[in-house]
Amino acid sequence: MLKIEDLHVSVEGKEILRGINLEIGKGEVHAIMGPNGSGKSTLSYILAGRDGYNITKGRVLFNGKDLLEMSVEERAWAGVFLAFQYPVEVPGVSNIYFLKAALNGIRKFNGESELDAMDFISMVKGKMKDLDMDEKFLYRAVNEGFSGGEKKRNEVLQMSVLEPALCVMDETDSGLDIDALQIVAEGVNRLRNPERSFVLITHYQRLLDYIKPDYVHVLAHGRVVKSGGPELALELEEQGYAWVDEKVAS
Amino acid sequence: MSVTHLPNAHYAGLIAADKSELLGHDIAWLNSLREKASSEFADGGFPSPREEEWRYTNISPIEKSQFSLAAKAGAVDTEFLKDVLLDDCHHLVFVDGFYQASLSSVGELPEGIVVSAISTGLAENESLVKSLLDSVVSTEALGFINFNTALFTDGAVVSIEENTKVDKPIQLAFISSKDADLSLSNCRNLIIAKESSKATIIETYNGVEGSCYLTNVVTEVVVEPNANLSHNRLQAESLKAYHMGGVYSRLDKNAIFSQYNYTFGAVLSRAEVHAELGEASDCTMDGLYIGMDHQHIDNHTRVNHAQPHAVSNEFYKGIMGDRSRGVFQGRIIVAEDAQKTDAKMGNRNLLISDRAEVDSKPQLEIYADDVKCAHGVTVGQLDDTAIFYLRSRGADEQMAKNMLTFAFANEMVERIEFQPLRIKVLEQLLERFPQEGMKIEWL
Repeated sequence: MLKIEDLHVSVEGKEILRGINLEIGKGEVHAIMGPNGSGKSTLSYILAGRDGYNITKGRVLFNGKDLLEMSVEERAWAGVFLAFQYPVEVPGVSNIYFLKAALNGIRKFNGESELDAMDFISMVKGKMKDLDMDEKFLYRAVNEGFSGGEKKRNEVLQMSVLEPALCVMDETDSGLDIDALQIVAEGVNRLRNPERSFVLITHYQRLLDYIKPDYVHVLAHGRVVKSGGPELALELEEQGYAWVDEKVAS
Repeated sequence: MSVTHLPNAHYAGLIAADKSELLGHDIAWLNSLREKASSEFADGGFPSPREEEWRYTNISPIEKSQFSLAAKAGAVDTEFLKDVLLDDCHHLVFVDGFYQASLSSVGELPEGIVVSAISTGLAENESLVKSLLDSVVSTEALGFINFNTALFTDGAVVSIEENTKVDKPIQLAFISSKDADLSLSNCRNLIIAKESSKATIIETYNGVEGSCYLTNVVTEVVVEPNANLSHNRLQAESLKAYHMGGVYSRLDKNAIFSQYNYTFGAVLSRAEVHAELGEASDCTMDGLYIGMDHQHIDNHTRVNHAQPHAVSNEFYKGIMGDRSRGVFQGRIIVAEDAQKTDAKMGNRNLLISDRAEVDSKPQLEIYADDVKCAHGVTVGQLDDTAIFYLRSRGADEQMAKNMLTFAFANEMVERIEFQPLRIKVLEQLLERFPQEGMKIEWL
């Protein structure tokens, strides 16, 4: 589904990603772990198409198409979804309108007709219930005045409404207490299926107790320095990132 | 200090012309008021950009266009009228500066309430008109007011009886007909909310699109002790028209006055919203202005805290696109005796084009020492992070920008309690920033 080949990215002349290679198959869950400043968030923004990054080398293929050539919205239409580390507050735009506009954009691209308003609302309300979100959030401005946990839940709600093929989740566990973490993880697990892939970007192993990855990659200094199974996350948790640094140094 | 700026031959001619056909020409006091205004206009003309209060707004296109008073009201299409009139209101309709009884429907009103055109009730309401006319407007020589006083053809007179509440809003609809090209509509509105009364007034300004005319309107408002008056104005003139509008108000002790000012139309417009605040009165001034193409929109507000313990809250938001230009000048004056004044003024502007411009100028003159005064001005652009966020969810770039621009304005629309007016303002917004698939109840 996603193939990253020798990706080099710099920001204001400073190289952040220095040759990333990753291949993510259909239905797989990959965790990318790494210390602060290792380039994790940069990678997620590159996949979503944010401005301000200079891609100096390499390519990213999404279902065989050159992802980096696509605009931000084209990626969303094609099924790429980034759950933000810091979801943006959008005062004046209600959640329900935002979701409807997003879903219609995607449906239009896929040649599908607009969802009937009633069907749409009952579908969204069902998903909100799964995430233990109060219906009043529908009519509140997107993320405005939401707590950290509410924002993350709202990201998962968007994901479950938009049903993307590839979900990139950037530090979804940060700012979540144990209850919220379980609810969010259950929401993600419900979305797992053989057609949908996940990239979980996280600093801590904590999230991976609830969302079992198929593969774990360790990112350090802009490169994948180690890949393995879920046991790698535990190893990291035990030994800390200093161990990675030593590994890079050696 | 006004600068001498003589009217050009055309307008000097209008002012000097025989006024024996004008409304109230047989009433001596009115004639002398008109004469005084005429002579002041003959000496001072329209304001020049050399005057500080007019430095951002050059009205020379109005001088060059040589507008003349319409001889009579032109025809208005039924559909057009239907679109202008708000549901659930008492309506007075003026076309090209003349009251149109056949298009108006005042309906049932509580006893003692006057809702009338000046032209139809002048004999009956003469003392009321006399007590209000020229009583609230600023005493400084202001060309457009003098021009209005000298030549007004009609307007509304509204008096809300003591201890009376008018449930339905009173809509004063000013329409420029399709025959109005190069004509001038010059109405004067006189409104008084007597002690402990409550009412809502909505002035609307509409013209047939493509038609070039001038609306020069002056509204004088008196809010007596403990009365609560809401005054709204929706300016949706033709985009080729000119609009000079003023709302001058006086708030007595404990009076509440809320002025909401929505500007969408006219190629060049200016709204003056002035309030003189009595003791412990409460004044709200909210505004929204949207400029596109080459529109020039000027909002000029003045809050004069003349007495202690009064509260004023002023908040204007503007969106300027294309090559439009917005001007906001908000002035708060706190007199020496006006202790415990609580005054707030905010102006936020969104520029959605590189070629648009905003000049925002808050002016605070504070002569008292125990007061709270806050002001803030921002001029900004759409937030890139928010645009990226919306696009990453599947909104295309234009849609994302429209959503955020709409949202910026919607904060002011949300404040409109009267649903028919709210929908009219929304329609204006949505025409400029379409929101696919949006339902009004989701806002």
